[in-house]
Amino acid sequence: MIDEMSMSELEADSLMEIFNIGVGHAAAAMSSIVNEEVRMSVPSIRITTRSEAADELGAGLSLCGISQQYKGAYATEAILMFPERASFEIVRMMVGDLIPADELGEMEREAMCEIGNIVLNACVGTLANMFQKELEGSLPVFRVGSSEQILNPGHDNADPSVLMLRIDFSLERQQIEGYLAFILDMSALRDLREQVRLYIARLESGMAPDGL
Amino acid sequence: MKDKLLLDAFSALSLGVIVVDANYRITLWNAWLETHTGRAAGDTLGQDFFSVFPDLRHHRVGVALTQAISHNLPALLSQSLHRSPFPLFADPRQPGPRLSQAVTIVPLGSSERYGLIQIVDVSLAVRRESLLREQAHVLLSQSLSDGLTGVGNRRYFDVCIDKEWRASKRNNKSLSLLLVDVDYFKRYNDRYGHQQGDLCLQQVATAMRNALPRSSDLLFRYGGEEFCALLPEMRSADAVEVAEKLRASVQSLALPHANAPAGIVSVSLGVASHNQRSHTDYGQLIQAADDALYEAKHAGRNIVRASVSAWPESLTSPAHDK
Repeated sequence: MIDEMSMSELEADSLMEIFNIGVGHAAAAMSSIVNEEVRMSVPSIRITTRSEAADELGAGLSLCGISQQYKGAYATEAILMFPERASFEIVRMMVGDLIPADELGEMEREAMCEIGNIVLNACVGTLANMFQKELEGSLPVFRVGSSEQILNPGHDNADPSVLMLRIDFSLERQQIEGYLAFILDMSALRDLREQVRLYIARLESGMAPDGL
Repeated sequence: MKDKLLLDAFSALSLGVIVVDANYRITLWNAWLETHTGRAAGDTLGQDFFSVFPDLRHHRVGVALTQAISHNLPALLSQSLHRSPFPLFADPRQPGPRLSQAVTIVPLGSSERYGLIQIVDVSLAVRRESLLREQAHVLLSQSLSDGLTGVGNRRYFDVCIDKEWRASKRNNKSLSLLLVDVDYFKRYNDRYGHQQGDLCLQQVATAMRNALPRSSDLLFRYGGEEFCALLPEMRSADAVEVAEKLRASVQSLALPHANAPAGIVSVSLGVASHNQRSHTDYGQLIQAADDALYEAKHAGRNIVRASVSAWPESLTSPAHDK
């Protein structure tokens, strides 16, 4: 169990490299929408549990989350999260204008959904490529709430593993910190680690890595 | 029988439905689309999606459709980020503006993959939202006006330049900025007193505001005796003309100024226009206008100067003073 939860440095570095390729694609897609340089990177990655992830993000902070459910080879949920305050900045920068208000309007939520969709698809596409298995995804859903409400909207008692990525998002000299959580069941986690090991083996044997 | 019922249901939907196969051939085109594109299903069925919509190949619609078909990933296109990707009109026989659209693209099928595109007309919601946006800006401009002159204050300028700067980049349109300084204003205050100075600023501001040609052009008090004007979607040559109008409007007030060489109150103006290649943030636009204003001051005042980096012709063009 302990072994399942901890990644070696090499494994973490390899996963980070893979996800950085994924978010690079997402950043390029967003750049072409806003006609402006958008940069994204994944500076850290780790495996934790849902409850720990919620605790670390803090109960006091209001987050906005864009989530997509996946079924198929694995049942998983991917959630992109930003502090709610940062979501205002993102909309202001991406959409160009923002009605000053305490919460995002319908259109603005939809814009956040699309941004989430671009990032999640890029990352899930990268994962699916690695697993060489296809996932079937839902359309994105937008939520605002505490980390607990975002990560566990169904108040599920189980405490699954979470692959947690920090995503740095930069646009117009603004730096915004977000998080991407993949909620993984045991088999998905095992497979993920197995695939990472295969990926490293392929790299060490000099074969080209899989990108999206 | 069931197929017929399904097709009837698709036809009755009040949204656009297109299904393309793995080779991007259109296999379903519902009645709503016929109404809003003006193209009958018979024309489009079996056609390549990208030959029907050539503009969408390198658009996010094309990318999302490819992702759906080759990677099984669904996509959502919000109308805030892509107003109207499809050429859809309320009445295609008299095409006005395109309908505002919210689009979703979802993969279908497992062994044989299809892409389902749904297009919803969100024009009404968009209109409501833009009304709200306009009202919010009107309220903002009222709360952020300069107490003395009634034009926008410095804080409103910061809000507006941020918004217009982004809009100019997004739409690839130029944005011009005029910086205006009242000539020898310290001497005016010394000679006539601060109350008279305030009155002078009010008159100058009103004259310049009335000289701005379009309702979208905005005048602000930048600080002290400095004003500035934001001219969205205006090229630098036109902005220089507007600047000249502003200069002339103040000159024709003919406010006496015994301590100025010409004997009347005048203004100097610096003009800069946004040029994607030479400016990266709006701070540089302000700097360029400031440099041009400095030049105008040194060229003898009551004159317009344009930023060299944005408008190279200004190097050789004759001075705009009389």
